[in-house]
Amino acid sequence: MGELHRHPQVIRFAAKLRGLTLVGVLAASSALAQSDPGAQLSASTSFSALDEIGAGNVQRLTGGPVFATGRFGGQAGAPSAAGDLVYIETGFPNAIFALELAQASPSVAWSYAPEPDGRARGLSCCGRTEFGPVLSGAKLYANTLDGRTVALDRRSGNKFWETKLADLSNGETLASPPVVADGKVLVGNAGDEFGARGWIAALDAESGRILWRQFSTGPDAEIGIGPSFSPFDPRDRGTDRGVATWPPSAWQHGGGSVSGRIIYDPELRLVFHGTGRAAPWDAQERPGANRWTSGLFARDPETGQARWFVAFGARDPYARGGVAQDVLLDAPWKGSARKLLLHPDGNGFLYVVDRVSGEMLAADPFTHTDASPEPAGPGAVAGPVPSPDENVVVRDICPAWSGATGAGSPAFSPRTGLLYLPVSRLCMDFEPRHASYLAGTPFIGANIKVKPPKDGTSGALVAWDVQARKAAWSMNEPFPLAGGVLATAGDLVLYGTLDGMIKARDARDGKLLWSFAATDGIIAQPATFNSSNGHQYLAVMTGLGGGFGIAERNMLDPLDQSAGLGLAAALSRLPTLRERSATLYLFRLP
Amino acid sequence: MRLVVVMPFAMLALAGCQREERSLRLDPPVEAGLDEVRVMSNGIGGAPPKVYVALGRPYENNAFDLDQGKRLYDWFGCTGCHAHGGGNTGPAFLDGWWQYGADPVSIFVSIRDGRTAGMPAFGRYLTTEQIWQLTGYVQTIGAYSAKTAAPSRNDEMQSRPSENRAPATLGALQPPSR
Amino acid sequence: MRPRLKALLGAACALPGASCVGWQSTLSPQGPHAESLLRLIFAFAIVCALVWILVVAMLAGALMRRRRISREPLASRPREERRLGMLVGAATAATVVVITGLTVLSFVATRGLEASHDDALKLRMRGYQWWWEVTYLDPRPDRIFLTANEIHVPIGRPVEIELSAADVIHSFWVPSLAGKKDLIPGRDNAITFTATRPGVYRGQCAEFCGLQHAHMAFLVIAEPPEAFDGWRRAQLTDASAQTTSEEERGRGVFTQKACAACHTVRGTSASGSLGPDLTHVASRRYIAAGLLESTRGSFAAWIADPETLKPGSNMPNVPLTSDDLRDVSAFMASLK
Repeated sequence: MGELHRHPQVIRFAAKLRGLTLVGVLAASSALAQSDPGAQLSASTSFSALDEIGAGNVQRLTGGPVFATGRFGGQAGAPSAAGDLVYIETGFPNAIFALELAQASPSVAWSYAPEPDGRARGLSCCGRTEFGPVLSGAKLYANTLDGRTVALDRRSGNKFWETKLADLSNGETLASPPVVADGKVLVGNAGDEFGARGWIAALDAESGRILWRQFSTGPDAEIGIGPSFSPFDPRDRGTDRGVATWPPSAWQHGGGSVSGRIIYDPELRLVFHGTGRAAPWDAQERPGANRWTSGLFARDPETGQARWFVAFGARDPYARGGVAQDVLLDAPWKGSARKLLLHPDGNGFLYVVDRVSGEMLAADPFTHTDASPEPAGPGAVAGPVPSPDENVVVRDICPAWSGATGAGSPAFSPRTGLLYLPVSRLCMDFEPRHASYLAGTPFIGANIKVKPPKDGTSGALVAWDVQARKAAWSMNEPFPLAGGVLATAGDLVLYGTLDGMIKARDARDGKLLWSFAATDGIIAQPATFNSSNGHQYLAVMTGLGGGFGIAERNMLDPLDQSAGLGLAAALSRLPTLRERSATLYLFRLP
Repeated sequence: MRLVVVMPFAMLALAGCQREERSLRLDPPVEAGLDEVRVMSNGIGGAPPKVYVALGRPYENNAFDLDQGKRLYDWFGCTGCHAHGGGNTGPAFLDGWWQYGADPVSIFVSIRDGRTAGMPAFGRYLTTEQIWQLTGYVQTIGAYSAKTAAPSRNDEMQSRPSENRAPATLGALQPPSR
Repeated sequence: MRPRLKALLGAACALPGASCVGWQSTLSPQGPHAESLLRLIFAFAIVCALVWILVVAMLAGALMRRRRISREPLASRPREERRLGMLVGAATAATVVVITGLTVLSFVATRGLEASHDDALKLRMRGYQWWWEVTYLDPRPDRIFLTANEIHVPIGRPVEIELSAADVIHSFWVPSLAGKKDLIPGRDNAITFTATRPGVYRGQCAEFCGLQHAHMAFLVIAEPPEAFDGWRRAQLTDASAQTTSEEERGRGVFTQKACAACHTVRGTSASGSLGPDLTHVASRRYIAAGLLESTRGSFAAWIADPETLKPGSNMPNVPLTSDDLRDVSAFMASLK
């Protein structure tokens, strides 16, 4: 465990770059530009308007590792940049670094160590654990795995406030970054696998005071369901569906955590968030529709009151949840301009939802999936036949529990009209096992083997034509794409892979234009920003683990095919990479 | 004369009647004694309770106890973090590369009191006897030495070699690959 | 000598009679399924008895009849041989007729047992070593509840039970209401029966399943539909509130100690599901699968030392102080 406490270090990169020379690259970046709203990454589409690096010149990119965080393991959080500082939050123990790129080699302007409770590490399970600082005004907000939200001074790293939100003794953690909406910091919990009830909470951005907290299961009053609520499915219009769709008292440990990204639409003043899988994974023990898990809520950020809800399936027999990341889009739909929300779900379907009314407009499979559309209505998807009984194995279920997508964010490019989906094509054998609830211990109830599909390609980058409702092109990948995708105005699609490749493809036809071999796997979304001299940077964090179901790869033994809920064996062909520390890579044009 | 021939066979046949002893009930003082492990100050290794030694290390080579341990391993969600020995959020057992050592006292203390790296304390939920049964079973998963007893075969999906294989593991000879 | 012989004779006569009454007897059917089985049993018994008498009579006749010793043993006697051939042929034909008849009878009777009913009360029973988990199914998930070792059924309404097993093969057998059906791990099985008269009928695991196979009993309580509905409503509620401070403390002990790791009491934080659901345990007549009547004393005895009362049971001896034991047994007894 020595790696965990290794000191962060600035890499003397010149010696480390295989033939590439970085000298001068950072010297040129005397200071990064003050954040320009137009050039910033749009959180809701993962599209960057920067176009200095484009399809024509991407081959000339130079750069390499510039900063090692000293933390071994998963790094799903992307760096964010503002002013002359680049901010990084590592996975557990959630250290935060502010890097100054002004000198020839970057230096640490300040760092913050929250010293989280070690118990939280055992609770980091089976889903995306992404950390990343969120910048708003003079403050930087970040979550820690052990359940705290902190607000720091962006310039100095001094702490303004800290609020403890999640209760570790119930198996709750925080595993996604907060979102700032309208003077509030919104935070959702994680912990489905421990039977923790999902919730989303709002903190006062100035004081850190808890303003409201709404749950994903239970009576209407605790969910924020009132007169203004209108769910898409008419069956959900009764009262207390969060209780009535569960066996007695099962909702009290029913999961549905808000562990994906929360998106704020300032124009509509609505917050959108998915709800996670129901607990336990063994569907035999939770007969019913298990509302409001595995769906999507729209809420009023002022009060937390729910506006609408769509469910991604009549129920969730194979625990895929609904926390894959959404994309907000204003586009014509069947002739009229509409405000859309695109949700690529773990079950392999892309849902198109009217984000004003919550009406589900379409549901189309974007990859091989066993789920099929329910004849009853648009969008509602019936899963494959569930296992008839506990201890009876159902084989070859596609996609696997980790989802057809969801580990990383998709990106939408308005220039091509295509949605770029990072896809996992893994399938699984699933055996429901009896699960007994014991607070703070796993509540899963499943034996799982994960395997590649019959044709052997475990991943793909799918470019989805939103208007035509079909894939424009699809590029196979040897491993599941577990990191996010970034699209830029330079007609590039950028992403990292589990085997440590950073790839740039042509956004129009998917042609591979440039790739770079990093020394560790990548599960983080690439980021791009402008420096003060107007030059565009590409930043990628490496660090394999956490975000893709594997807390620490070195702790797993693929001899047991159920290790890492099956992922260890499915990914055992991943090369052993040399780097033992999550590392920041920077690239730019010479 | 014929007796000399018959007797050894009769003895052999009778020896087959000797079953493994199942201890279904521990006297409360014995159970209390079994809780008295002495642990090194760093929490790794230590001396087993005197009663445990006096009973002849009962939970390591008794098929019934190993089987009870296997049942508890499934029932109390151990598979959720450690899978079937391959690990998940908790470390693997199969590779024999154990953070707190393979000593039964370390395992017992890990289960009873938990560990700061995320292992919850089960002392509140399990009796001392159950913790010892679990300890015995967990040892067989990543065993360093072959045992003379084995728990019953897996009823569930087979995902790894059975517990009583020998030599236990190759992984014990080298650190897991990173 | 004489009176003793008389008593002995009387006892011998009473013995088969005794099995005709009581709460666990095939010979005292309490519903159409058990009745049709009983008819089948009688039909088989009578036919088999007749056949047996006939065969024995023929055998006796054959033994009695003396055969002339022929002077020419090798001479053929076609008339006699044809007669014997016809006799054997007739006997074979009669056997075929009897067996076919019994097969048809058995088929018709058992097919009647398997008929499904739309209005049936649907339950699921899962066999554990050594107790029965009972789930009352319902299209509405919030009306599904768990109980153990005791089934309530309304009279006159068919009851369909899905049978499954968690560990080894068990067998469901309520002689007064239905035949036997095995509970097999990984396989789904089902049994249907109807109780026509109110009463309490005992069931028993009928497949050897380990140390405590003998102590794996359950009760079927048949009651009028109104009484059944009342019972069902009561079972759906959370555990009743504790009225005395002793019961309060008992709840604290229950939720803080190992009890809560395996047992659920709805309305408290205890949510384990490894052992029977205890939300309304005191409303059941017996605890530990027919071992002890549910009185506060029995609860205390069972909690204090389950391994002496039912050696091998998965309920462990949880060390409790005498105060804790008193409080916890009061809490258990309050869970009506």
